[in-house]
Amino acid sequence: MQKSSLCLVALLAAISTAAMAVANEDPRVQRHELMEGVRDAAKPLGGMLRGTVEFDADTVAASLATFSEAASTFGSLFPEGSETGMDTQATAAIWSDRDGFDAALAKFASVVEQAQAAAPASLDAAKPVLGPIFQACKGCHDDYRVEKD
Amino acid sequence: MAGARKSVGARVGRLLFEVLLLAAIGWWLTAPRTIDALPEHVPDAAAGERIFHASGCASCHATPVDGRRATGDARRLLGGGAGLASPFGTFVAPNISPDAHDGIGGWSMLEFVNAVQRGVSPDGRHYYPAFPYTSYARMRTEDVMDLKAYLDTLPPVSGKADSFRLAFPWSLRRGVGLWKWWNLDVAPVVTTEPPDAVVERGRLLVEGAGHCGECHTPRGRFGGLDYSRWLAGAPSMDGEGRVPNITPVGKGVAGWSAADIEYYLESGFTPDFDTVGGDMVAVQENMAALPAEDRAAIAAYLKAVPPIE
Repeated sequence: MQKSSLCLVALLAAISTAAMAVANEDPRVQRHELMEGVRDAAKPLGGMLRGTVEFDADTVAASLATFSEAASTFGSLFPEGSETGMDTQATAAIWSDRDGFDAALAKFASVVEQAQAAAPASLDAAKPVLGPIFQACKGCHDDYRVEKD
Repeated sequence: MAGARKSVGARVGRLLFEVLLLAAIGWWLTAPRTIDALPEHVPDAAAGERIFHASGCASCHATPVDGRRATGDARRLLGGGAGLASPFGTFVAPNISPDAHDGIGGWSMLEFVNAVQRGVSPDGRHYYPAFPYTSYARMRTEDVMDLKAYLDTLPPVSGKADSFRLAFPWSLRRGVGLWKWWNLDVAPVVTTEPPDAVVERGRLLVEGAGHCGECHTPRGRFGGLDYSRWLAGAPSMDGEGRVPNITPVGKGVAGWSAADIEYYLESGFTPDFDTVGGDMVAVQENMAALPAEDRAAIAAYLKAVPPIE
């Protein structure tokens, strides 16, 4: 009795691990997690721009690295067949206007690269290079993200 | 014999009378109702620019560039042509540039005010309420007059926007008159006791010019706003996603300070530094063009509306 219930637990654990692995590989989950990472990285920078968080060059560099990595992989996470489901916030326009989406993403990659090259050491130096990054976020969410409650 | 024939004739006559009476009542009920006289006011184009941004005119009437929403200076070219999807069909915004032939260059001030605040065209036809005149009806008419003065300073754009046709019965424009009986009301939606000047300024912007309720309030079967759920969120009209609840409840605006709301409208960032998205991007850019005290007034109003789960 004990042995069989132990087996059952092991089996359930194996199944749920497998299910999680499948879920983790799903592009809808991956792109969502990637964007959550970008948002978390953006938060301290936004606070610096707004004046509620003290400027810190290392934090800026770390966030820019997160943005850069996201920009290089994000575009590959929208294969055919992942248009709907799993509460995705991708709009249909990503597939119907792929060129526009790629251009918006390239814009993000390019302003991130410029900010990294500038390596701002003060808030005054950071403002002109971080501003365009936030504008790029907004520019893409304008057409390619579905808004939800 | 003759008596029976007479009574058939009388019955037909009576039926005809009733049909005509009903038709007359229907015609009267659906008739366009207009404002007869303007208030004493000298229109001020500079003040009208603020109303232009608050009202979001360019968001629908600026001609799209390469199929995309116009940005920057292209927002001053109001040739129309952008589509507005809805469950009733797709509306196309007309040319409201000061072009005398294709735009509204030939309109009198009174014609303009009636178009904006009563949804009636200069030739006496109803506009569909995709043009948010039920909100604009709550604006100060003086502000609408300033708006026209500003629009008159913009470049004329030639060419009419595409025409559109809705499915029956929505294709019957005259029926909009009946709809207006239920849905066109100039009374404030939210009042505070005692009255507060800042909230009142915000009310004119949110309920009137800003026409926020048009997207953030759910609609009934015939497309009228459900005022019992004022600003409590609604399905998006174009079918993708939801427009959020902006009453002070839950994880939304309740957790935002008035300063957070102001900053969001100015910069496009939520307190978590997520960005504004979807159709709200264009709205936020309009709000960013307003004086800071207008954003503060909007924030004060949103803090004052009844919370609805």
